[in-house]
Amino acid sequence: MTAPVIEAVGVGRIFETRGGPTEALRDLSFGVDGGEFISIIGPSGCGKSTLLRIVGDLVEPSTGSIRVNGKTARQARLDRDYGIVFQAPVLYDWRTVIENVRLPLELAGGSLEERRERPRALLRLVGLEGFRDHYPWQLSGGMQQRVSIARALALHPSILLMDEPFGALDEMTRERLNLELLQVWSETGATALFVTHSIAEAVFLSTRVVVMSPRPGTIDRIVPIDLPRPRLDKVRGEPRFFELVTAVRESLREDPALAAGNAPRAEHARARGAP
Amino acid sequence: MVVAAIAVSWEGGKVLFAIPDYQLPRLHEIFADFLREGAGGERWFSIMALNARYTALESLIGFALGGVTGLILAIGFAHSRLLERGLLPWVVASQTVPVLAIAPMVVVWLGTSWFSKAVIAAYLTFFPVTVNMARGFRAVDVDALALMRALAATPAQVFTRLRFPASMPYLFTALRISATASVIGAIVGELPVGSRFGMGVVIINAAQYYNWRPANLWAAILVSSLIGIAFYQFIVLIERRAMRWRPAAEI
Repeated sequence: MTAPVIEAVGVGRIFETRGGPTEALRDLSFGVDGGEFISIIGPSGCGKSTLLRIVGDLVEPSTGSIRVNGKTARQARLDRDYGIVFQAPVLYDWRTVIENVRLPLELAGGSLEERRERPRALLRLVGLEGFRDHYPWQLSGGMQQRVSIARALALHPSILLMDEPFGALDEMTRERLNLELLQVWSETGATALFVTHSIAEAVFLSTRVVVMSPRPGTIDRIVPIDLPRPRLDKVRGEPRFFELVTAVRESLREDPALAAGNAPRAEHARARGAP
Repeated sequence: MVVAAIAVSWEGGKVLFAIPDYQLPRLHEIFADFLREGAGGERWFSIMALNARYTALESLIGFALGGVTGLILAIGFAHSRLLERGLLPWVVASQTVPVLAIAPMVVVWLGTSWFSKAVIAAYLTFFPVTVNMARGFRAVDVDALALMRALAATPAQVFTRLRFPASMPYLFTALRISATASVIGAIVGELPVGSRFGMGVVIINAAQYYNWRPANLWAAILVSSLIGIAFYQFIVLIERRAMRWRPAAEI
Protein backbone atom coordinates (compact mmCIF):
# COMPACT_ATOMS: atom_id res chain seq x y z
CA MET A 1 0.00 0.00 0.00
CA THR A 2 1.51 3.30 -1.07
CA ALA A 3 1.07 6.51 0.87
CA PRO A 4 -1.64 8.87 -0.39
CA VAL A 5 -0.55 11.49 -2.92
CA ILE A 6 -2.41 14.19 -1.03
CA GLU A 7 -2.89 13.90 2.69
CA ALA A 8 -4.65 16.55 4.74
CA VAL A 9 -4.72 16.39 8.52
CA GLY A 10 -6.95 18.74 10.54
CA VAL A 11 -6.79 21.53 7.98
CA GLY A 12 -8.58 24.74 8.93
CA ARG A 13 -8.47 28.28 7.70
CA ILE A 14 -9.58 31.52 9.31
CA PHE A 15 -9.63 34.71 7.27
CA GLU A 16 -9.28 38.09 8.91
CA THR A 17 -12.01 40.27 7.50
CA ARG A 18 -13.19 43.74 8.46
CA GLY A 19 -16.09 42.21 10.34
CA GLY A 20 -13.69 40.10 12.40
CA PRO A 21 -12.26 36.63 11.82
CA THR A 22 -14.24 34.35 9.50
CA GLU A 23 -13.77 30.63 9.73
CA ALA A 24 -13.75 29.31 6.17
CA LEU A 25 -12.63 25.74 6.81
CA ARG A 26 -12.63 23.61 9.94
CA ASP A 27 -10.73 20.45 10.69
CA LEU A 28 -10.60 18.72 7.30
CA SER A 29 -8.80 15.43 7.04
CA PHE A 30 -8.67 13.30 3.93
CA GLY A 31 -6.36 11.34 1.69
CA VAL A 32 -6.22 11.15 -2.09
CA ASP A 33 -4.55 8.23 -3.85
CA GLY A 34 -2.46 8.59 -6.97
CA GLY A 35 -4.48 8.74 -10.19
CA GLU A 36 -7.77 9.54 -8.50
CA PHE A 37 -10.21 12.14 -9.76
CA ILE A 38 -11.69 13.89 -6.76
CA SER A 39 -14.47 16.43 -7.09
CA ILE A 40 -15.20 18.85 -4.29
CA ILE A 41 -18.78 20.05 -4.15
CA GLY A 42 -20.68 22.16 -1.67
CA PRO A 43 -22.80 25.28 -1.23
CA SER A 44 -21.43 28.68 -2.18
CA GLY A 45 -18.96 30.07 0.29
CA CYS A 46 -18.19 26.69 1.88
CA GLY A 47 -14.47 27.10 1.21
CA LYS A 48 -14.08 24.69 -1.73
CA SER A 49 -11.78 27.04 -3.57
CA THR A 50 -9.88 27.82 -0.41
CA LEU A 51 -9.31 24.12 0.15
CA LEU A 52 -7.99 23.75 -3.38
CA ARG A 53 -5.69 26.72 -2.91
CA ILE A 54 -4.41 25.35 0.36
CA VAL A 55 -3.46 22.10 -1.38
CA GLY A 56 -1.70 24.16 -4.07
CA ASP A 57 0.11 26.32 -1.49
CA LEU A 58 -1.57 29.47 -2.77
CA VAL A 59 -3.24 29.94 0.61
CA GLU A 60 -1.72 28.93 3.95
CA PRO A 61 -3.78 26.79 6.32
CA SER A 62 -4.39 28.34 9.75
CA THR A 63 -4.35 24.92 11.37
CA GLY A 64 -3.34 21.42 10.35
CA SER A 65 -1.02 20.36 7.60
CA ILE A 66 -0.96 19.13 4.02
CA ARG A 67 1.48 16.61 2.59
CA VAL A 68 1.72 16.26 -1.16
CA ASN A 69 3.82 13.54 -2.76
CA GLY A 70 5.35 13.06 0.69
CA LYS A 71 6.46 16.70 0.83
CA THR A 72 5.05 19.92 2.21
CA ALA A 73 2.65 21.67 -0.15
CA ARG A 74 5.21 24.45 -0.49
CA GLN A 75 7.93 22.07 -1.57
CA ALA A 76 5.55 20.42 -4.02
CA ARG A 77 4.79 23.81 -5.52
CA LEU A 78 8.48 24.70 -5.79
CA ASP A 79 9.07 21.32 -7.45
CA ARG A 80 6.30 22.25 -9.90
CA ASP A 81 4.18 19.21 -9.06
CA TYR A 82 1.00 21.19 -9.76
CA GLY A 83 -0.89 22.12 -12.86
CA ILE A 84 -3.60 24.65 -12.15
CA VAL A 85 -6.76 25.71 -13.98
CA PHE A 86 -8.93 28.56 -12.72
CA GLN A 87 -12.55 29.40 -13.39
CA ALA A 88 -11.40 32.16 -15.74
CA PRO A 89 -8.94 30.94 -18.37
CA VAL A 90 -6.31 33.44 -17.11
CA LEU A 91 -4.52 33.47 -20.45
CA TYR A 92 -1.99 36.23 -20.99
CA ASP A 93 -3.59 38.48 -23.62
CA TRP A 94 -0.28 39.48 -25.21
CA ARG A 95 0.75 35.90 -25.89
CA THR A 96 -0.55 33.72 -28.67
CA VAL A 97 -2.21 30.42 -27.83
CA ILE A 98 1.00 28.43 -28.22
CA GLU A 99 3.02 31.02 -26.29
CA ASN A 100 0.55 30.73 -23.44
CA VAL A 101 0.99 26.98 -23.36
CA ARG A 102 4.76 27.47 -23.48
CA LEU A 103 4.83 29.76 -20.45
CA PRO A 104 5.39 27.06 -17.79
CA LEU A 105 8.23 25.60 -19.86
CA GLU A 106 9.89 29.01 -20.06
CA LEU A 107 9.59 29.48 -16.32
CA ALA A 108 10.96 26.05 -15.56
CA GLY A 109 13.81 26.44 -18.05
CA GLY A 110 12.94 23.51 -20.28
CA SER A 111 15.16 22.62 -23.23
CA LEU A 112 14.65 24.37 -26.57
CA GLU A 113 13.48 21.11 -28.09
CA GLU A 114 10.91 20.66 -25.35
CA ARG A 115 9.75 24.26 -25.60
CA ARG A 116 9.07 23.76 -29.27
CA GLU A 117 7.53 20.30 -29.26
CA ARG A 118 5.63 20.09 -25.97
CA PRO A 119 3.22 22.98 -26.61
CA ARG A 120 2.44 21.57 -30.05
CA ALA A 121 1.69 18.14 -28.64
CA LEU A 122 -0.52 19.67 -25.94
CA LEU A 123 -2.49 21.74 -28.45
CA ARG A 124 -3.05 18.56 -30.45
CA LEU A 125 -4.26 16.88 -27.27
CA VAL A 126 -6.89 19.57 -26.68
CA GLY A 127 -7.73 19.85 -30.38
CA LEU A 128 -6.47 23.38 -30.96
CA GLU A 129 -3.43 22.86 -33.18
CA GLY A 130 -5.11 25.02 -35.83
CA PHE A 131 -5.31 27.98 -33.46
CA ARG A 132 -1.79 28.12 -32.14
CA ASP A 133 -1.01 31.59 -33.50
CA HIS A 134 -4.31 33.11 -32.48
CA TYR A 135 -4.55 35.53 -29.60
CA PRO A 136 -6.83 34.65 -26.65
CA TRP A 137 -9.51 37.21 -27.53
CA GLN A 138 -10.00 35.50 -30.86
CA LEU A 139 -11.11 32.27 -29.12
CA SER A 140 -14.44 31.28 -27.60
CA GLY A 141 -14.69 30.72 -23.85
CA GLY A 142 -14.56 26.95 -24.23
CA MET A 143 -11.48 27.13 -26.44
CA GLN A 144 -9.76 29.46 -24.02
CA GLN A 145 -10.37 27.01 -21.21
CA ARG A 146 -8.88 24.22 -23.33
CA VAL A 147 -5.76 26.32 -23.77
CA SER A 148 -5.71 26.80 -20.03
CA ILE A 149 -5.87 23.03 -19.51
CA ALA A 150 -3.09 22.47 -22.04
CA ARG A 151 -0.96 25.01 -20.20
CA ALA A 152 -1.63 23.26 -16.88
CA LEU A 153 -0.32 20.02 -18.35
CA ALA A 154 2.85 21.53 -19.81
CA LEU A 155 5.22 20.37 -17.08
CA HIS A 156 3.75 16.87 -16.68
CA PRO A 157 2.28 17.73 -13.27
CA SER A 158 1.45 14.84 -11.00
CA ILE A 159 -1.45 16.83 -9.55
CA LEU A 160 -4.03 18.79 -11.49
CA LEU A 161 -5.89 21.46 -9.49
CA MET A 162 -9.04 22.76 -11.12
CA ASP A 163 -11.18 25.51 -9.61
CA GLU A 164 -14.58 25.39 -11.33
CA PRO A 165 -12.92 25.42 -14.74
CA PHE A 166 -16.18 25.01 -16.65
CA GLY A 167 -18.36 27.11 -14.35
CA ALA A 168 -18.63 29.99 -16.81
CA LEU A 169 -19.42 27.84 -19.85
CA ASP A 170 -22.74 26.85 -21.33
CA GLU A 171 -24.12 23.37 -20.63
CA MET A 172 -23.25 21.85 -24.02
CA THR A 173 -19.69 23.14 -24.04
CA ARG A 174 -19.31 21.99 -20.47
CA GLU A 175 -20.39 18.42 -21.24
CA ARG A 176 -18.08 18.22 -24.23
CA LEU A 177 -15.16 19.54 -22.18
CA ASN A 178 -16.01 17.02 -19.44
CA LEU A 179 -15.44 14.23 -21.93
CA GLU A 180 -12.24 15.77 -23.22
CA LEU A 181 -10.98 16.34 -19.70
CA LEU A 182 -11.55 12.69 -18.79
CA GLN A 183 -9.60 11.63 -21.85
CA VAL A 184 -6.72 13.99 -21.09
CA TRP A 185 -6.72 12.95 -17.45
CA SER A 186 -6.60 9.23 -18.27
CA GLU A 187 -3.74 9.83 -20.73
CA THR A 188 -1.65 11.79 -18.25
CA GLY A 189 -2.37 9.64 -15.21
CA ALA A 190 -2.35 12.75 -13.02
CA THR A 191 -4.25 13.02 -9.76
CA ALA A 192 -7.07 15.50 -10.21
CA LEU A 193 -8.69 17.77 -7.65
CA PHE A 194 -11.75 19.40 -9.15
CA VAL A 195 -13.96 22.05 -7.55
CA THR A 196 -17.45 22.35 -9.02
CA HIS A 197 -20.97 23.57 -8.42
CA SER A 198 -22.50 20.95 -10.68
CA ILE A 199 -23.58 17.66 -9.15
CA ALA A 200 -23.86 15.94 -12.55
CA GLU A 201 -20.40 17.09 -13.52
CA ALA A 202 -18.91 15.88 -10.24
CA VAL A 203 -20.52 12.43 -10.60
CA PHE A 204 -19.62 12.09 -14.26
CA LEU A 205 -15.95 12.88 -13.78
CA SER A 206 -14.93 11.55 -10.43
CA THR A 207 -13.68 8.47 -8.67
CA ARG A 208 -14.96 10.06 -5.46
CA VAL A 209 -17.05 13.15 -4.69
CA VAL A 210 -16.28 15.11 -1.55
CA VAL A 211 -19.42 16.82 -0.26
CA MET A 212 -18.74 19.82 1.93
CA SER A 213 -20.96 21.57 4.46
CA PRO A 214 -21.65 25.32 4.53
CA ARG A 215 -19.22 27.62 6.29
CA PRO A 216 -17.19 26.75 8.17
CA GLY A 217 -16.53 24.13 5.54
CA THR A 218 -16.06 20.58 6.72
CA ILE A 219 -16.27 17.28 4.88
CA ASP A 220 -19.85 16.03 5.15
CA ARG A 221 -19.51 12.85 3.22
CA ILE A 222 -17.36 11.25 0.58
CA VAL A 223 -19.38 9.50 -2.14
CA PRO A 224 -17.48 6.85 -4.12
CA ILE A 225 -18.47 6.83 -7.79
CA ASP A 226 -18.48 3.26 -9.11
CA LEU A 227 -19.48 4.03 -12.70
CA PRO A 228 -17.42 2.06 -15.21
CA ARG A 229 -14.70 3.69 -17.30
CA PRO A 230 -14.14 4.89 -19.89
CA ARG A 231 -17.12 7.10 -19.26
CA LEU A 232 -18.83 8.19 -22.42
CA ASP A 233 -21.84 10.45 -22.81
CA LYS A 234 -24.23 7.51 -22.54
CA VAL A 235 -23.25 7.11 -18.88
CA ARG A 236 -25.34 10.22 -18.21
CA GLY A 237 -28.46 8.26 -19.14
CA GLU A 238 -27.81 5.19 -16.98
CA PRO A 239 -29.85 4.48 -13.84
CA ARG A 240 -26.68 4.16 -11.71
CA PHE A 241 -25.67 7.69 -12.77
CA PHE A 242 -29.00 9.05 -11.54
CA GLU A 243 -28.72 7.11 -8.28
CA LEU A 244 -25.32 8.64 -7.61
CA VAL A 245 -26.50 12.13 -8.56
CA THR A 246 -29.38 11.69 -6.15
CA ALA A 247 -27.05 10.40 -3.43
CA VAL A 248 -24.81 13.47 -3.78
CA ARG A 249 -27.78 15.82 -3.91
CA GLU A 250 -29.24 14.29 -0.77
CA SER A 251 -25.98 14.58 1.14
CA LEU A 252 -25.96 18.24 0.21
CA ARG A 253 -29.55 18.67 1.35
CA GLU A 254 -29.25 16.56 4.49
CA ASP A 255 -26.64 18.88 5.78
CA PRO A 256 -27.49 19.45 9.46
CA ALA A 257 -26.27 23.04 9.34
CA LEU A 258 -28.50 23.78 6.37
CA ALA A 259 -31.46 22.03 7.99
CA ALA A 260 -31.06 23.98 11.23
CA GLY A 261 -30.96 27.21 9.27
CA ASN A 262 -27.46 28.12 10.37
CA ALA A 263 -26.31 29.06 6.93
CA PRO A 264 -28.75 31.95 6.42
CA ARG A 265 -27.89 33.22 9.88
CA ALA A 266 -24.22 33.09 9.07
CA GLU A 267 -24.91 35.10 5.92
CA HIS A 268 -26.70 37.72 7.95
CA ALA A 269 -23.96 37.90 10.50
CA ARG A 270 -21.52 38.55 7.68
CA ALA A 271 -23.67 41.26 6.17
CA ARG A 272 -24.09 43.06 9.45
CA GLY A 273 -20.58 42.28 10.63
CA ALA A 274 -18.87 45.33 9.12
CA PRO A 275 -18.11 47.90 11.85
CA MET B 1 -10.99 68.67 -43.87
CA VAL B 2 -10.21 69.86 -40.38
CA VAL B 3 -7.32 71.87 -41.83
CA ALA B 4 -9.69 73.49 -44.32
CA ALA B 5 -12.18 74.29 -41.55
CA ILE B 6 -9.49 75.93 -39.46
CA ALA B 7 -8.30 77.95 -42.45
CA VAL B 8 -11.81 79.14 -43.25
CA SER B 9 -12.62 80.13 -39.66
CA TRP B 10 -9.19 81.79 -39.35
CA GLU B 11 -9.64 84.01 -42.36
CA GLY B 12 -13.38 84.39 -41.79
CA GLY B 13 -12.83 85.43 -38.19
CA LYS B 14 -10.31 88.03 -39.29
CA VAL B 15 -12.82 89.66 -41.64
CA LEU B 16 -15.79 89.25 -39.30
CA PHE B 17 -14.17 90.73 -36.18
CA ALA B 18 -11.83 93.06 -38.08
CA ILE B 19 -8.74 91.61 -36.41
CA PRO B 20 -5.67 93.56 -37.52
CA ASP B 21 -2.69 91.70 -39.00
CA TYR B 22 -0.44 92.27 -35.99
CA GLN B 23 -2.92 90.33 -33.86
CA LEU B 24 -3.58 87.59 -36.36
CA PRO B 25 -1.65 87.61 -39.65
CA ARG B 26 -3.09 86.31 -42.88
CA LEU B 27 -2.44 82.60 -43.40
CA HIS B 28 -0.62 83.12 -46.69
CA GLU B 29 1.73 85.55 -44.94
CA ILE B 30 2.65 82.84 -42.46
CA PHE B 31 3.47 80.46 -45.27
CA ALA B 32 5.22 83.22 -47.20
CA ASP B 33 7.41 83.75 -44.14
CA PHE B 34 8.99 80.34 -44.71
CA LEU B 35 10.18 81.54 -48.11
CA ARG B 36 11.68 84.82 -46.91
CA GLU B 37 15.41 85.18 -46.86
CA GLY B 38 17.05 85.42 -43.45
CA ALA B 39 19.96 87.66 -42.46
CA GLY B 40 22.51 85.08 -43.58
CA GLY B 41 20.92 84.66 -46.99
CA GLU B 42 19.32 81.25 -46.43
CA ARG B 43 15.58 80.89 -46.63
CA TRP B 44 13.52 80.70 -43.45
CA PHE B 45 12.25 77.18 -44.01
CA SER B 46 15.80 75.92 -43.81
CA ILE B 47 16.45 78.05 -40.71
CA MET B 48 13.30 76.59 -39.17
CA ALA B 49 14.29 73.09 -40.18
CA LEU B 50 17.72 73.45 -38.61
CA ASN B 51 16.29 74.70 -35.32
CA ALA B 52 13.45 72.22 -35.37
CA ARG B 53 15.98 69.43 -35.69
CA TYR B 54 17.77 70.68 -32.60
CA THR B 55 14.57 70.82 -30.61
CA ALA B 56 13.38 67.45 -31.85
CA LEU B 57 16.68 65.81 -30.93
CA GLU B 58 16.71 67.38 -27.46
CA SER B 59 13.12 66.28 -26.92
CA LEU B 60 13.89 62.77 -28.05
CA ILE B 61 16.89 62.42 -25.74
CA GLY B 62 14.93 64.00 -22.91
CA PHE B 63 12.00 61.71 -23.63
CA ALA B 64 14.22 58.63 -23.45
CA LEU B 65 15.95 59.89 -20.32
CA GLY B 66 12.67 60.75 -18.63
CA GLY B 67 11.02 57.54 -19.76
CA VAL B 68 13.76 55.39 -18.25
CA THR B 69 13.84 57.46 -15.06
CA GLY B 70 10.07 57.24 -14.77
CA LEU B 71 10.14 53.51 -15.33
CA ILE B 72 12.83 52.93 -12.70
CA LEU B 73 10.87 55.00 -10.18
CA ALA B 74 7.68 53.10 -10.99
CA ILE B 75 9.40 49.73 -10.58
CA GLY B 76 10.68 50.92 -7.21
CA PHE B 77 7.23 52.10 -6.16
CA ALA B 78 5.56 48.91 -7.31
CA HIS B 79 7.91 46.80 -5.22
CA SER B 80 8.04 48.92 -2.11
CA ARG B 81 5.16 50.78 -0.51
CA LEU B 82 7.69 52.43 1.77
CA LEU B 83 9.62 53.84 -1.17
CA GLU B 84 6.39 55.05 -2.73
CA ARG B 85 5.24 56.77 0.44
CA GLY B 86 8.63 58.39 0.90
CA LEU B 87 9.25 59.54 -2.66
CA LEU B 88 5.88 60.06 -4.32
CA PRO B 89 5.16 63.39 -2.54
CA TRP B 90 8.48 64.73 -3.86
CA VAL B 91 7.72 63.49 -7.34
CA VAL B 92 4.36 65.25 -7.24
CA ALA B 93 5.94 68.39 -5.74
CA SER B 94 8.49 68.48 -8.55
CA GLN B 95 5.66 68.90 -11.04
CA THR B 96 4.01 71.76 -9.16
CA VAL B 97 7.10 73.92 -9.63
CA PRO B 98 6.76 75.79 -12.94
CA VAL B 99 9.26 74.52 -15.52
CA LEU B 100 9.74 78.09 -16.59
CA ALA B 101 11.32 78.78 -13.17
CA ILE B 102 13.43 75.62 -13.13
CA ALA B 103 14.72 75.92 -16.68
CA PRO B 104 17.16 78.82 -16.10
CA MET B 105 18.60 77.03 -13.02
CA VAL B 106 19.21 73.86 -14.99
CA VAL B 107 20.89 75.89 -17.73
CA VAL B 108 23.07 77.59 -15.11
CA TRP B 109 24.01 74.21 -13.61
CA LEU B 110 24.50 72.20 -16.77
CA GLY B 111 25.45 74.84 -19.33
CA THR B 112 23.68 75.89 -22.50
CA SER B 113 24.41 72.71 -24.47
CA TRP B 114 21.75 70.30 -25.70
CA PHE B 115 22.14 68.32 -22.51
CA SER B 116 20.50 70.85 -20.22
CA LYS B 117 17.50 71.04 -22.57
CA ALA B 118 17.19 67.26 -22.65
CA VAL B 119 17.21 67.25 -18.85
CA ILE B 120 14.37 69.78 -18.77
CA ALA B 121 12.44 67.70 -21.31
CA ALA B 122 13.07 64.62 -19.14
CA TYR B 123 11.78 66.54 -16.13
CA LEU B 124 8.40 66.83 -17.81
CA THR B 125 8.51 63.32 -19.28
CA PHE B 126 9.16 61.13 -16.27
CA PHE B 127 6.10 62.12 -14.27
CA PRO B 128 3.31 60.61 -16.41
CA VAL B 129 5.40 57.47 -16.84
CA THR B 130 5.98 57.08 -13.09
CA VAL B 131 2.37 57.68 -12.10
CA ASN B 132 0.88 55.48 -14.80
CA MET B 133 3.32 52.62 -14.50
CA ALA B 134 3.20 52.54 -10.71
CA ARG B 135 -0.48 51.84 -11.16
CA GLY B 136 0.00 49.54 -14.17
CA PHE B 137 2.46 47.27 -12.38
CA ARG B 138 -0.04 46.80 -9.57
CA ALA B 139 -3.14 46.42 -11.72
CA VAL B 140 -2.38 42.79 -12.49
CA ASP B 141 -5.10 40.14 -12.30
CA VAL B 142 -4.86 38.20 -9.02
CA ASP B 143 -5.33 34.85 -10.74
CA ALA B 144 -2.60 35.70 -13.25
CA LEU B 145 -0.33 36.23 -10.24
CA ALA B 146 -1.59 33.03 -8.58
CA LEU B 147 -0.70 31.17 -11.76
CA MET B 148 2.86 32.49 -11.57
CA ARG B 149 3.04 31.44 -7.94
CA ALA B 150 1.70 27.98 -8.72
CA LEU B 151 4.41 27.65 -11.36
CA ALA B 152 7.07 28.71 -8.83
CA ALA B 153 8.14 31.71 -10.94
CA THR B 154 10.96 33.90 -9.64
CA PRO B 155 10.21 37.58 -8.92
CA ALA B 156 12.21 38.53 -12.03
CA GLN B 157 10.10 36.17 -14.15
CA VAL B 158 6.89 37.57 -12.68
CA PHE B 159 8.09 41.03 -13.68
CA THR B 160 9.26 40.30 -17.22
CA ARG B 161 6.57 37.77 -18.13
CA LEU B 162 3.57 39.29 -16.38
CA ARG B 163 3.77 42.70 -14.72
CA PHE B 164 5.62 44.48 -17.50
CA PRO B 165 3.64 43.19 -20.49
CA ALA B 166 0.37 43.54 -18.56
CA SER B 167 1.07 47.22 -17.96
CA MET B 168 1.86 48.08 -21.60
CA PRO B 169 -1.46 49.91 -22.11
CA TYR B 170 -0.57 52.09 -19.13
CA LEU B 171 2.90 52.69 -20.53
CA PHE B 172 1.67 53.88 -23.89
CA THR B 173 -0.94 56.14 -22.36
CA ALA B 174 1.87 57.75 -20.39
CA LEU B 175 4.18 57.96 -23.40
CA ARG B 176 1.55 59.76 -25.45
CA ILE B 177 1.34 62.45 -22.80
CA SER B 178 5.09 62.53 -22.34
CA ALA B 179 5.80 62.84 -26.06
CA THR B 180 4.18 66.26 -26.34
CA ALA B 181 5.38 67.34 -22.90
CA SER B 182 8.99 66.59 -23.79
CA VAL B 183 8.83 68.98 -26.77
CA ILE B 184 7.46 71.71 -24.51
CA GLY B 185 10.27 70.98 -22.06
CA ALA B 186 12.97 71.25 -24.71
CA ILE B 187 11.57 74.55 -26.03
CA VAL B 188 11.30 76.01 -22.53
CA GLY B 189 14.88 74.92 -21.96
CA GLU B 190 15.97 76.90 -24.99
CA LEU B 191 14.40 80.13 -23.80
CA PRO B 192 17.04 81.27 -21.26
CA VAL B 193 19.79 83.55 -22.52
CA GLY B 194 22.78 81.74 -23.96
CA SER B 195 21.09 79.18 -26.16
CA ARG B 196 21.96 79.48 -29.83
CA PHE B 197 19.75 76.93 -31.56
CA GLY B 198 16.29 75.47 -31.21
CA MET B 199 12.69 76.52 -31.64
CA GLY B 200 12.80 78.26 -28.27
CA VAL B 201 15.46 80.61 -29.61
CA VAL B 202 13.48 81.23 -32.79
CA ILE B 203 10.35 81.98 -30.74
CA ILE B 204 12.20 84.45 -28.48
CA ASN B 205 13.67 86.28 -31.47
CA ALA B 206 10.40 86.32 -33.38
CA ALA B 207 8.63 87.67 -30.28
CA GLN B 208 11.15 90.50 -30.05
CA TYR B 209 10.56 91.52 -33.65
CA TYR B 210 6.85 90.78 -33.57
CA ASN B 211 5.87 94.34 -34.46
CA TRP B 212 7.81 94.18 -37.71
CA ARG B 213 7.08 90.60 -38.66
CA PRO B 214 4.20 88.96 -36.79
CA ALA B 215 4.05 86.10 -39.29
CA ASN B 216 7.47 84.87 -38.14
CA LEU B 217 6.27 84.04 -34.63
CA TRP B 218 3.21 82.30 -36.00
CA ALA B 219 5.39 80.28 -38.31
CA ALA B 220 7.58 79.29 -35.34
CA ILE B 221 4.51 78.26 -33.36
CA LEU B 222 3.33 76.17 -36.31
CA VAL B 223 6.69 74.39 -36.60
CA SER B 224 6.87 73.78 -32.84
CA SER B 225 3.46 72.18 -32.71
CA LEU B 226 4.30 70.09 -35.76
CA ILE B 227 7.24 68.61 -33.85
CA GLY B 228 4.89 67.69 -31.01
CA ILE B 229 2.33 66.18 -33.35
CA ALA B 230 4.95 64.19 -35.22
CA PHE B 231 6.30 62.89 -31.94
CA TYR B 232 2.85 61.88 -30.74
CA GLN B 233 2.11 60.08 -33.99
CA PHE B 234 5.42 58.29 -33.73
CA ILE B 235 4.42 56.93 -30.32
CA VAL B 236 1.02 55.86 -31.64
CA LEU B 237 2.78 54.03 -34.46
CA ILE B 238 5.04 52.16 -32.05
CA GLU B 239 2.03 51.38 -29.85
CA ARG B 240 0.20 49.84 -32.80
CA ARG B 241 3.17 47.62 -33.54
CA ALA B 242 3.80 46.64 -29.95
CA MET B 243 0.17 45.90 -29.12
CA ARG B 244 -0.89 43.93 -32.13
CA TRP B 245 -2.26 41.30 -29.77
CA ARG B 246 -5.21 43.53 -28.90
CA PRO B 247 -8.48 43.57 -30.80
CA ALA B 248 -8.17 46.37 -33.39
CA ALA B 249 -11.15 48.22 -31.96
CA GLU B 250 -9.38 48.87 -28.67
CA ILE B 251 -6.54 50.92 -30.14
